Amino acid sequence: MDWDISRLEDLEHYIWRCTACGTCRVAYDFGPPATCRPICPAGTEFGFEGNMSSKGKIAFARGILDGSLEFDEALLNDIYRCTICGGCQSQCQLDHKPFIPEIMEAMRRKAVEAGAGPLPLHKNLTRSLKSYNNPYQGPRRLRTDWTRPFKKAGRPIKDIMKQPAPVLFYVGCTGAFNQQARAIPTATASLFHKLGLDFGILGENELCCGSTAMRLGDAEEFKRLATQNLELFKKLHQEQGVATIVTSCAGCYRAIKKDYILSSAYDEMMDGVRVIHTAQFLYELHQEGKLPLEGGLEMKITYHDPCHIGRHLNKFEVDADGSQLWKGAYLGVSEAECLYEQPRELLKAIPGVEFVEMERNRANSFCCGGGGGVMTGFGEWAAKNAGLRIQEGLETGAAAMASTCPFCHYNLSQGAQRIASDMKVYDLVELLDQVVPAK
Amino acid sequence: MDTATAKKMDPFLAELAGIVGPSNASDAKHIRYAYSYDLSFVQPKLPDYVVMAETVEQVQEVLRLANREKIPVVPYTAGTNIGGLTIPERGGILLDLKKMNKIIDIDVADGVAVIEPGVSHAQLAAALGPLGLRFGWPVGPPSASVSSCCISHGIGGMNARYGLQSQEITSMEVVLPTGELVRAGSCAIQKDAWHSVLPLPQLDGLFKGWLGTTGVVTKLGINVHPAPPILKIFTVSCNTTQDMYAYMFNLSNYEICDDITAVSWWLSQVPIPYPYIPKPADAAEWNSYATTFSWSEKERDARVEIWEKVVAEEQKKGSSLAVTHYPEEALRGRTQLPSQVVGSTKNYCKMGGAGISWPGTFTPAKKWAPVYTRWKEILIGHKLSPSVRMSMYRGVHYGMLRAMIPFNKQNPAETENARRAIVECLRVDLDEGGIPYKPPVDFAKEINLRADPGYLMLLKRVKQMLDPNDIMNPGKLGF
Repeated sequence: MDWDISRLEDLEHYIWRCTACGTCRVAYDFGPPATCRPICPAGTEFGFEGNMSSKGKIAFARGILDGSLEFDEALLNDIYRCTICGGCQSQCQLDHKPFIPEIMEAMRRKAVEAGAGPLPLHKNLTRSLKSYNNPYQGPRRLRTDWTRPFKKAGRPIKDIMKQPAPVLFYVGCTGAFNQQARAIPTATASLFHKLGLDFGILGENELCCGSTAMRLGDAEEFKRLATQNLELFKKLHQEQGVATIVTSCAGCYRAIKKDYILSSAYDEMMDGVRVIHTAQFLYELHQEGKLPLEGGLEMKITYHDPCHIGRHLNKFEVDADGSQLWKGAYLGVSEAECLYEQPRELLKAIPGVEFVEMERNRANSFCCGGGGGVMTGFGEWAAKNAGLRIQEGLETGAAAMASTCPFCHYNLSQGAQRIASDMKVYDLVELLDQVVPAK
Repeated sequence: MDTATAKKMDPFLAELAGIVGPSNASDAKHIRYAYSYDLSFVQPKLPDYVVMAETVEQVQEVLRLANREKIPVVPYTAGTNIGGLTIPERGGILLDLKKMNKIIDIDVADGVAVIEPGVSHAQLAAALGPLGLRFGWPVGPPSASVSSCCISHGIGGMNARYGLQSQEITSMEVVLPTGELVRAGSCAIQKDAWHSVLPLPQLDGLFKGWLGTTGVVTKLGINVHPAPPILKIFTVSCNTTQDMYAYMFNLSNYEICDDITAVSWWLSQVPIPYPYIPKPADAAEWNSYATTFSWSEKERDARVEIWEKVVAEEQKKGSSLAVTHYPEEALRGRTQLPSQVVGSTKNYCKMGGAGISWPGTFTPAKKWAPVYTRWKEILIGHKLSPSVRMSMYRGVHYGMLRAMIPFNKQNPAETENARRAIVECLRVDLDEGGIPYKPPVDFAKEINLRADPGYLMLLKRVKQMLDPNDIMNPGKLGF
């Protein structure tokens, strides 16, 4: 299986399309009325131009490529002080726009290849991936700990390696190993049971999707995990009848949807298999009238868009052969695959819920601060940034903030604690589980 | 601060860190590198240190220290100018002011906003909108600094009505290169009065148009204006510069427009063609948009009536003037300000690749036609688009004439080609009586070559008085 993962040198042309104009620095909308807030977590916290949005990171990339900059400790720190959230990408108007997160990750890949990256704390993650197939140093038997209550209640979850099912619930490492985030797979499975869905999980046989490795620049480890997963998905389709892979992890979804397509064998391996995020899956059921909602939640709620199922799913149109404008010209962007409206529609459908919007939302959502390895590498800053997002939620008068990503869920919870806020943080499935009646 | 940095911190950096805090001071090469270049053709140069000040007192301390050690200081807000104005000519301290970004006051009754240097146009637009107020937003990036635009004689979308951005300044607070805090305008007499620089001696002139070489402006009072709800845009085209000038002159006499601007065909494209391509034979040489705001439909209709009268008068003279359609995206980008579409990005640079510079000038309006003719020859000769803009300022007698020149910055030869063409254009304009604004050093030298000796003597004497050790952005005045 071949992989088309760019080296920094491959992206040099695009790196030189950045004018350093700084449009990427603020989430700005003309309106009227005009709205404007910072968009870059690193820029907000550290402030130097190099830390600031894509303008700064591209300066680093230029310096690395022209030989001015070497991977010393200070540069490495700043390369990894980026959540790869893509907020700056949403603002940019130039030809390198489609490649901005790619450029940042290519810098990390170059650092890893040079033996300099990732940061020491990140190396714990990549070592764990190699040893345990997950970034949490969790023995595989712990992957199913969250399923015990189901077994105890006489509603065991199918092991899809042993029993066929059309739907694979791909849990993800954070949902399986992070104590706080376990509420998410638990609620997802509970919902699926209530809806009478025939689904199974991989349990101890689940491997990390590889997102962590990719975000940190360890392309080799990503390829190992992704290759195994693609082969497993094909096998499950052929042997166990899996036609849908549903995940409630935004990171896994992004990886399978957007990183796995870098494989030459993607179409073959995923033939007959649809990957879908829980938010979309449940939204479709809701649209079909198959998601009954009873009772109510008297709650004022706002929604935090996770980067990985939001703007990371932008589809950019590039003039690859120069037939429309010039070779490599950025032509436009489609948000059709970004899951912006689905979670909002579901939240609004919950009886009693009053939905309110934060100023920075959808493509201009302010990252929670947990992505791109920041939560591991710079935990204190990640929580501080999440506190800023919670504060923005409080400004709306909301008492609760919903999201659709276990990483965001955990980090926003940390942020709420850090600023001693009463804001309750939920995953969408946790809320839906409370109002979907048991059959 | 990183451990490696902490271990080897030099004593001067330690002093800077002692003033602004360790997280706001750095001599790391990659941090300095990100300040070493901008959009322009100016060759990259590294500062030796970068510090971010958060308070006026910190700015004072940094300048006292720099003055003591005779180390250059380059004030920086967003780095979005296209003349290399914050690229350090002689190293030193890059003083980044972006964290000083408070809107201190918006006095609706007085029509005055008091801002710190890091306040961006987008930030101020978001704050003024709910109050029914506006400012003359330029076509720079939304993140560009309002303060820097004003003190550098920048232009904006209300120049035909209120004049230059610098004419909107009502008061200022400045840290001198020697560290003293001074004020100019009404706030110098009564600290909370920011309404006017007049009738006092205009000491604010010591800090406007000086390219950051005489001090650091830490607070700025500016006029803000009521925002009428109804926008009407008059769009016409002409085949000759003379015809367009005559129309703009005629229309400006009625003082009904906030902005009267014409752009050559090449500048009306999104993006500017790079390299040069001929315009289609059936396309007009010039397109113009003129914005007018009204409080009622009746008022708007009266303005339209005036405009129609102007058009009829010009056409009666045999002008090539035609009421026409302005390209939609370009029109949006130029009237929905601040704009991400123009913003020195998409329509200016996108096709060239990373580089954009200009001969940007204030030129007598009657000279626009001959200068444009020469510019066109020069630019086309360098395979560059004659993407030229003409804008009327309040008072009509002169206006902004500039050419936005994109180029491929990855290629040194193409960058140098653009630089040569731009400097050549600038010489033509200077010889016709035009004066460049926000000039790169190449331009400053050309200005000085033509300057009256008395002017240069006075300039140097004032600079010496304010900055005895020549620490503030040295070299930018061309001497």
